[in-house]
Amino acid sequence: MHNSSSGPPAKPRVGSSQPSEASFKRKRGVFQKDLQHMMYGFGDDPNPLPETVALLEDIVVEYITDLVHKAQDVGSKRGKLLTEDFLYLIRKDPPKLHRCTELLSMNEELKQARKAFDVSEETLANAD
Amino acid sequence: MDPPPPPPPSASSEPPPVAAASPSQAAQPPSPAPSPAQPPPSSTPSTPAETLTPPTSSSSSSAPSPTQNPSTPPQPLSQPQPSPQQQSQTQPPSIQPQQRPPLNRSRPQTPYAHFAHHLPSAPTSSSGPPSSIASPSPSPAPMQRGGLAIGVPAHNPHHPRPQQPPLSFSTFSPSPPFSQPFSSTPRVPEQSPTSSSQVRQPVQGIQNIGMIGALSAGSQIRPSVMSGSQQQRFGQPPLRSASPSANQTLNSQKFPSHGLPRTPSMASPSSPSPVSQSQSLQQQLSSAQGKQMHAPSAPSSSYRPSVKPHVLQQRPHHLQQHQHSLPMTSHQQQIPSSQQQQQQKQQQQLQLQQHQQQASLSHQSHEHHNQQYVALRNQQSVTQQQQAVRALGSTVQKSNVPGQGQSGVVQSGNISPVVNADDAESGNHVLSKRSLRELVAQIDPFEKLDSEVEDVLVEVAEDFIESVTTFACSLAKHRKSTTLEAKDILLHVERNWNMTLPGFGGDEIKCYKKQFTNDIHKERIAVIKKSMVATSDAGNPKNPAAGQAASNAKAHAAKAPAIGSPKTH
Repeated sequence: MHNSSSGPPAKPRVGSSQPSEASFKRKRGVFQKDLQHMMYGFGDDPNPLPETVALLEDIVVEYITDLVHKAQDVGSKRGKLLTEDFLYLIRKDPPKLHRCTELLSMNEELKQARKAFDVSEETLANAD
Repeated sequence: MDPPPPPPPSASSEPPPVAAASPSQAAQPPSPAPSPAQPPPSSTPSTPAETLTPPTSSSSSSAPSPTQNPSTPPQPLSQPQPSPQQQSQTQPPSIQPQQRPPLNRSRPQTPYAHFAHHLPSAPTSSSGPPSSIASPSPSPAPMQRGGLAIGVPAHNPHHPRPQQPPLSFSTFSPSPPFSQPFSSTPRVPEQSPTSSSQVRQPVQGIQNIGMIGALSAGSQIRPSVMSGSQQQRFGQPPLRSASPSANQTLNSQKFPSHGLPRTPSMASPSSPSPVSQSQSLQQQLSSAQGKQMHAPSAPSSSYRPSVKPHVLQQRPHHLQQHQHSLPMTSHQQQIPSSQQQQQQKQQQQLQLQQHQQQASLSHQSHEHHNQQYVALRNQQSVTQQQQAVRALGSTVQKSNVPGQGQSGVVQSGNISPVVNADDAESGNHVLSKRSLRELVAQIDPFEKLDSEVEDVLVEVAEDFIESVTTFACSLAKHRKSTTLEAKDILLHVERNWNMTLPGFGGDEIKCYKKQFTNDIHKERIAVIKKSMVATSDAGNPKNPAAGQAASNAKAHAAKAPAIGSPKTH
């Protein structure tokens, strides 16, 4: 007790008896607006019931949370969490996987375009 | 002779329930005119269908109308004379109405006697409607004297109807005695056949009107065997009024139509003994077999909504069992349920009784009847259970009300034909056979389950609920709480049954528990990585073995410090 604890001060006490992270209060309505539009796109009423939107949001948040936890489990073995972990987890779902890869590739293209744009701007500026 | 005149067209306006009533009535052709009487009443039911073309029917173009009748027999037979059992009612309905008034007056109270006779003959008549149709046609006259040619088998419609008026009227005969409350009844026939009032009146007057749907309230008036319960029912006059069944019928009829008479009658019922009431009821029922008309007025409107669903369901089933209802009534009384429940059951019984006469399906109705009572009984017990379960966010998705609040009643409220064995079980069943069938229908509309399979599934459902609830309670106890909450059940179901139930999660976010790794483990991994990198730099093809050796050496080195490190702790 009296400074006898030499060594790393941060010594974990009995594993997870004390959770390092506290349970956060989930904010409701994070995806409310977007979900309404998506539901309409899938055939629901333009103004769906709030309870329906809340339920869907619960489902979405639960799905994302579960996915991230699994990715963390996979990534911790590697040491870091990478996007490949997520792709690995949805490998069994072809539509999702394809959509994810498409979005990632688009992201890369946009980055390239921006870079090229900036470079061209720089060259122009330098030329001036 | 020409077949009995088609029933007054007014009946046609009545909704189908009346039609249903008429067929039942037809089943029991009034005794006065056993076979001949049948045609006229049967024709009356057709009138409703023909009301659209009453003039044509009367005019002699009866041929076309009769053809219509058979197709629309079940239709609006609002008239008390239920098309005798079948649909052949093409009888000359138009004629009947005209002659009704004279007939009615002729026998104010005989109808009941006739009805009594009709009772035994009813089944037979109903069984052979087609044959009866043919027979009655030849002798329309006897029907005229008959009194209540209720449920007279449909007679050839093409017959001119002129002579049938009395016959057709006979169908309304029951109304005369009941007509007291409805003074206009006798005039009804005089009105043009299209007048729907005719139909209505007899409907009101007729006690055993197949109160289907909303009219269920009226049916309550019927004698309900539940004499005792009747008292509870307001306005459902206890038929006990006087011994004569006729009086009773009158009283019963009066109630639906008039509110005033009700009050006095209400008082009376309380006094009479239930036994006498039941007897009188039986008489009335027998007499009123054929008449199933909608009691337009809803004396007991308060009960209507509650009974409505039941009534509607019963409509298609022709319940019989007057006698069965008796034991049921006593059974019901024992039920600690509220009065309403009893009343509902009573109403159902009455309806059942009425239907029974009309009826075509005899045994099934009884079962339905029983089921209804049991269902009602189960409803309350189940509802409580369901509510409790729901509050816990029960995962009982099997029930038809997943995630719904207090819709427990809905689940058990489905009164539908169920095997008697199902009802035999005591209440407190989580899953009813009816709900199970509906679930199966959602999966496959044409799928049918064996009764044994249903039993097993019900058992599985109950075991599931019990096990989940038990474990959830132990979790709640572990949480040092005396309240079973949704999160207890969610946790158990999620971990042991691998079922996620969205919508009940609350506001907590599931925390991620990072894998606990020891420091030693981390150190070792770091060393290995370094060695791996080093060996790869050195040239993989060159010294894979050397790299491995180096890594091994490093591993040993790592172990040494690792061993040393614990001492520091």
